[in-house]
Amino acid sequence: MAIASIALNVIGVIFLSHAVYSAYEHSLLPSTSASPSSGSYLLSVLDPKVNLPVDITIETLVSVVLLCAGVVLSSANLKPIQWNVWAGNLERSKDARATKEVGVGGGNPYAALEERSGFLDIRGEMKGFAEWKNKGGEGRIEGKKA
Amino acid sequence: MSDERELVIQPIVTESVQHNARIVSNIRALTASLFGVAAGTLGLESYPGFLFYFIGTALVSVLVYFFKAESKPQAYFYRPIGDLWGGDMFGGLMSFVLTWTLFYGLCKA
Repeated sequence: MAIASIALNVIGVIFLSHAVYSAYEHSLLPSTSASPSSGSYLLSVLDPKVNLPVDITIETLVSVVLLCAGVVLSSANLKPIQWNVWAGNLERSKDARATKEVGVGGGNPYAALEERSGFLDIRGEMKGFAEWKNKGGEGRIEGKKA
Repeated sequence: MSDERELVIQPIVTESVQHNARIVSNIRALTASLFGVAAGTLGLESYPGFLFYFIGTALVSVLVYFFKAESKPQAYFYRPIGDLWGGDMFGGLMSFVLTWTLFYGLCKA
């Protein structure tokens, strides 16, 4: 998939630059402004003043469609937003279980439940703080985590 | 009220929502400038140019729907109509106009 999207992007860029350069060269031709009837049917429907040859028109449109598909395919995958689908993916994958931070493609999907402040051991925290203060306020607070 | 109830029964992951929105807006920004290049090269003026942009944006939405959302937009977007089809429709308009005028000036003037 990655190689296909890179190939699409490269082909699209080549065709698009070729089409733009062709359009530029066409605009330099002295007969360009004199013959408005030589325009392609496709563009004269859209805009009657345009007189670009049909092959340049088709090349531009095709290359832009190719590039669009390439950009869409080469972008990162979307993540499921439903909690059960997302958490299920995390539970099943081994790499995600090894990651600790939540929100970087891993971590404990139930961290929000397990670290609720309602379960905080407030007496333990206060005791740790009192010990730390009695020792003169140096070093780290040795509070018992809930 | 029923919306809130639905969210309690089936919670959604805000990180994933943000991630999806960022990816879609990246795609939109890139493709909007591409459409500007095409519109300027084709020499479109005024309404046909904007029409071209909206057709292109709809095409990108269809591509995202089939290739990225796997035809299940409700699994990846909280509000599929707003986030996938309608949202960001005007977000890329300015970059579209920028490259449109640049390439129109290069190829016509």
